[in-house]
Amino acid sequence: MHPDSDLETLMARYQRGDFAAATALIRRLSPQLHRFFVVQFASRGDADDLLQETWLRIHQVRHTYRAGEPVLPWLYAIARHIRVDHYRKARRTAAREDRLEETPEVAAALPASSGGAPDLEALLAHLPDSQREVIEMLKIAGMSLEEVARATSSTVGSVKQKAHRAYERLRERLSGGGMGAGRAGGPS
Amino acid sequence: MKDREIDDILKQAAQAPHDVDPALLDRIVGSLQSSLGPVRPLPPGWVLAGGLVLICAAVALAGAARAGFYGFPKLSVLDRALIFPALGIFIWLAATACVGEMVPGSRRRMAPGSLLAAGSLALLAVFAVLFRDYRTDHFVSQGVVCLTAGLLHAIPAALASWLLFRRGFAVNAVAAGLVAGTLAGLAGVTMLELHCANLEVLHVMLWHTAVIPVSAAAGALVGKVWPMRTRA
Repeated sequence: MHPDSDLETLMARYQRGDFAAATALIRRLSPQLHRFFVVQFASRGDADDLLQETWLRIHQVRHTYRAGEPVLPWLYAIARHIRVDHYRKARRTAAREDRLEETPEVAAALPASSGGAPDLEALLAHLPDSQREVIEMLKIAGMSLEEVARATSSTVGSVKQKAHRAYERLRERLSGGGMGAGRAGGPS
Repeated sequence: MKDREIDDILKQAAQAPHDVDPALLDRIVGSLQSSLGPVRPLPPGWVLAGGLVLICAAVALAGAARAGFYGFPKLSVLDRALIFPALGIFIWLAATACVGEMVPGSRRRMAPGSLLAAGSLALLAVFAVLFRDYRTDHFVSQGVVCLTAGLLHAIPAALASWLLFRRGFAVNAVAAGLVAGTLAGLAGVTMLELHCANLEVLHVMLWHTAVIPVSAAAGALVGKVWPMRTRA
């Protein structure tokens, strides 16, 4: 069975109240959703909270999924909404707090993960949030341009443009330039 | 460095295992189990969009019936043939956009701001082409009456639309409010075209058309300050 249609079947069963389908969806999609949050926030604690919050929201609005439609854009649109909400709350909190000391910049280099492959979070860390999420959805979640456009409420053209700009930045960075920049921008 | 090489690096990085704490997953599964029951999925998009169009038509007709159909008889056949189909097309586009905003991950054919701009500009163009009376008698006093009447009819249209909207989940509440406000504003303009007998071009272009952006702005404001609650 095609993985997408498999997800659609699981989602339809979840809407009918099938506990096994809900469990299967959670176990199957949580790692990529968790990674989506880690790539954005770099903190596993935050990502854990966001993952839990996302599934709670998905559960509340599961009736809005339409049978036959791709599951990932629906799911990522909700995850993105949770992330943006969290980002705004965090920014409000940060604005009220007094900073005690300067925090070190993130991702000054490209550390390799334990397996020798480049660390994804560090690789994408210097991209603006809007470009990072597009690359994350396209290359890590394996979504199509059309699906990413749906998940981000934008057009395919805009997604292509963001991916193109992200590749230019990555090319510049991987070719040896622009290594020192921290994270830029906010969720769009 | 070529795109394909970047692709390979990203692919390699993505293949690195990313595990989630099994205890966290157990907690998530456990927290959903107690409230896991069958839910009724939303009706098809065309049913919801049709419902929104009917609401707009009903509000406009009821409003004009109550206030009097003074404008409709004064319009020529050409006026009617251009104004009402144009309003119908934009009401349908706004209704389908509303449905898109209430279902996460929907295909967006037009950005809410573009829809508002296109709808307003198209109506301005239609009015500019059709009407030839350039007088401005009682411009402000009559204009404020029409603007107020249009907005007062946009409110019931928005409230009735909310009955359909509340089962959805708007991931962008401001965009959803903007589209819903645009739709309600179009209902208000439709009522004015049926009711208002003042066919002075500047009156119609300014005070009638203004109902749409004002209503859209009010909708966006409501979306910003009033987070949406959904009903499963």
